[in-house]
Amino acid sequence: MSDEGRFGQYGGSFIPEILFNSQQDLLSAYREAMADPEFKAEMLAQMQQYSGRPTPLTPCPNLSQQLGGAQIYLKREDLNHSGAHKMNNVIGQGLLAKRMGKKRVIAETGAGQHGVASALVSARLGLECTVYMGAHDIERQYPNVFWMKQLGATVVPVTTGAATLKDALDEAMRDWSSSFNDTHYLIGTSCGCAPYPEMVAGFQSIIGEEVLSQAPEVLGRQPDKIYACVGGGSNACGIFLPYKGTTTELVGVEAGGIGDGVGEHAMRFNTDQARFGIAQGYATEFLQDEQGQLLPTQSISAGLDYVGVSPILADMVKRNELRMTAARDEAVLDAFKRLATTEGIIAALESSHAVAAAIAEAPKLSRDEKLVVNLSGRGDKDLFNIASALKDAPFNDFLADYLAREKQA
Amino acid sequence: MSTLQTYIKTQRESRPILLMTHVIYGYPTIKDSLEIMETLLREGTDILEVQFPFSDPVADGPTITNACHVALENAPTLRQCLADINALATRYPDSKVVLMSYLNPMLQFGFEALADTAAPAISGLIIPDLPIEQASFVEPLKAADIAPIWLTIPQMDSARLAQTLSAASGMLYCVSRSGVTGGATAFDAVTDNLDTLKQQTSVPLGVGFGISKPEHITALIGHADIAIVGSALLNAYNEAGLTQLVTRFKSLQTATR
Ligand SMILES: Cc1ncc(COP(=O)(O)O)c(C=O)c1O
Repeated sequence: MSDEGRFGQYGGSFIPEILFNSQQDLLSAYREAMADPEFKAEMLAQMQQYSGRPTPLTPCPNLSQQLGGAQIYLKREDLNHSGAHKMNNVIGQGLLAKRMGKKRVIAETGAGQHGVASALVSARLGLECTVYMGAHDIERQYPNVFWMKQLGATVVPVTTGAATLKDALDEAMRDWSSSFNDTHYLIGTSCGCAPYPEMVAGFQSIIGEEVLSQAPEVLGRQPDKIYACVGGGSNACGIFLPYKGTTTELVGVEAGGIGDGVGEHAMRFNTDQARFGIAQGYATEFLQDEQGQLLPTQSISAGLDYVGVSPILADMVKRNELRMTAARDEAVLDAFKRLATTEGIIAALESSHAVAAAIAEAPKLSRDEKLVVNLSGRGDKDLFNIASALKDAPFNDFLADYLAREKQA
Repeated sequence: MSTLQTYIKTQRESRPILLMTHVIYGYPTIKDSLEIMETLLREGTDILEVQFPFSDPVADGPTITNACHVALENAPTLRQCLADINALATRYPDSKVVLMSYLNPMLQFGFEALADTAAPAISGLIIPDLPIEQASFVEPLKAADIAPIWLTIPQMDSARLAQTLSAASGMLYCVSRSGVTGGATAFDAVTDNLDTLKQQTSVPLGVGFGISKPEHITALIGHADIAIVGSALLNAYNEAGLTQLVTRFKSLQTATR
């Protein structure tokens, strides 16, 4: 990374002037913290003692056998406290916020995973927590809203624009514009102005570092390919960056949604609907129209439903260090079911995108090849969405009964 | 000196402060927004600030953000916006028009193309998410006499302020406080800051964010050159249409005479 937080032509810092001082304070606090062995030790201790790291690398013998090609292994980020890799980042930034003397954090969330992770860590570190969430996402993901409230966080519905993740991010930036004195903006993915992309990717890199050291024992060697789903890009950066410059092929998987039309997917690569742009504080490949207006996105997984992408990944794609592919909703549901029934693992719909790409490619590869899939989160949070997608009628009966009982009580 | 700066200096010879009023192109419809612009020009606004809407206006508060999203449903194009402003501006040569937008719509249109298309109707450009160290983006505008209008904030680091002042032409947009557009501001608290700034630059000072009453403008007389009004006029329009907007405008205008 360059001094201005550039990754090739991407990244940088394009924020309203009012945020300049806080951005600079954050940059220097982050640099100081990373040069402080005590801070890093504290972070590692929290990751181990609170979040349960290291997470295992799990072979999938049944799935691999069924596919008849490459051997598949999963990096189990779903076993983190909170059920997703998001925990790695909030531990890092939460401790940094404390170190900077901040009393409050604000966060944007799509699916609510980052919101829950922020609320958890805030409760533990004694920070006030406000989470901005699109009103549309609140409707889709109420269970996470419920948990955030139980943890003492304030959830603010964002009704502007499409009322989804990008609008929640805008609103969090607006809050930060007036609250920076006592508030840290805890971004949930490796996007936004410098130093966020680098910082979030750095906190997440523990994923790839663990794989590097676990692979010789579990795989017998380093993997041939690594797959990760790409929303904003934090779990992908986390597992990919420690493998940069090695012979392992890195494969990012985007949300293919329901089709290739405008607003039907969230692919920022391999589509002419996305191109270089500057918005939300940074430069990257944005899905945008001719006028430079950011486009709506769609995905079965709220966590991948985002118009921009990490500048780190955009630059890696430009340099041919990363191959991007996509999985459509239908293939994602198939992958979800297949992993559940063959290996007894309930994956998040986001992570199921990475599983879907591995399932699609493994049969074409030889049995000697070894693939690692970053299982970024567990699927419990997707209960309602999966039940709906699988058209599980008894689930609806259950809800109807529940409502009837609650109304009587 | 840029045309915008010359204009402001000349007007200020006979006026204690000038008024800059903000309109969103395309809100509530393109036709209505042009009518609002024409009305303000006819009523004698000194500078008309036209915002070309962007989907993600992070420096704007709820009033302007919502209006931008409504405006976008009318699918405005920058090319048409500039053509419409051109047609309007030639009929009101006694006022100046500046354009405001966010970086991405300008970037996608291209700053060279903007320089070719926006002049001479547009004499200044405000981009709140373009930081001063990225000034090279707006370089092509200079040849077309379109002044890049840089923003200053109350607690600006002195080296950065110096960098901003040396790049400034036309006018400076002095953000009165932290936060986004709309909402309240304590204007007595900002005058010290403005006085310090005035000692360091001959570029006219515009003050925006939170101006909604004639008293706010009166408080700025002697400290700033231009009072910038945005959300307050928009709120008036949303409450009771064009007549209410004109009433609000006139009450603000008296404070500048
Ligand atoms: C389980 C899971 N995986 C992936 C993502 C996508 O984010 P990122 O691309 O930053 O890893 C999310 C976001 O909410 C998530 O919850």
